[in-house]
Amino acid sequence: MLFLSFFKTLVDREITVELKNGVEITGTLKTADQYFNLKLDNVKCKNEDKFPHLSSVKSIFLRGSTVRYVHLSKGDVDTNLLQDASRRGKLH
Amino acid sequence: MSDSKSEPLDLFKVLLDEKVHVKLRGAREITGRLHAYDSHCNIVLSDAVETIYDTDANDQLISTQKKSEVIFVRGDSVILVSSPNDV
Amino acid sequence: MSTETTTTSTEISAPSRFLNEITATSVIVKLYSGEEYHGILESIDGYMNVTMEDTKEYVHGKLIKTYNDVFIRGNNVLYISNV
Repeated sequence: MLFLSFFKTLVDREITVELKNGVEITGTLKTADQYFNLKLDNVKCKNEDKFPHLSSVKSIFLRGSTVRYVHLSKGDVDTNLLQDASRRGKLH
Repeated sequence: MSDSKSEPLDLFKVLLDEKVHVKLRGAREITGRLHAYDSHCNIVLSDAVETIYDTDANDQLISTQKKSEVIFVRGDSVILVSSPNDV
Repeated sequence: MSTETTTTSTEISAPSRFLNEITATSVIVKLYSGEEYHGILESIDGYMNVTMEDTKEYVHGKLIKTYNDVFIRGNNVLYISNV
């Protein structure tokens, strides 16, 4: 639940998602679910060579399991809040 | 003497706000400051440097580095996590 | 108190007992990808996540790196062996 809340705070921000196949997609996060499936609007791919040349694609749904990284800016996150939430933890 | 069993995820708790070194699938390593984790090993790092190891056309080992202000790493890619002062 | 013998009870399984017995001992953790980690087992959980101390990483039999404290995600673990 911790990271679901984290993703919900990123809605309407621009994020870059790097998939396990190397494709990098930048877009505005619109929704995220418990599996980290993501919906992005205003999509641009950062590496055209790997992207399946769907340059006309504006919105996409990304299956969570295909994500390797999500790149963000420092301004998008509250690191202290994240640390506190991790310490309190859903784990114990 | 009470001997409370510790569990592996406790190491993450200790490493919060510390620099960590993460080994990932696909010959990748990331170092950065740990800000968040969960039981799946999903993690958030800041000031992260990703190193990707590969071989070039002559089979020589090469590495490329990429920086990220903040990076979320999906847990299923994680192999190991440690503190980097051992590097 | 009934003195009938019960079969339910608190019998601990052999694998679980093994895991309890090997904590704080020297172990080898081998991954599916071939790496071997030799060190002292600090803790282990039901997913086979482990933490180890004073660990040496061997790849193809060669010492690659040492770690003071390391966490290894259980899904990568092929086996844990006592030394």
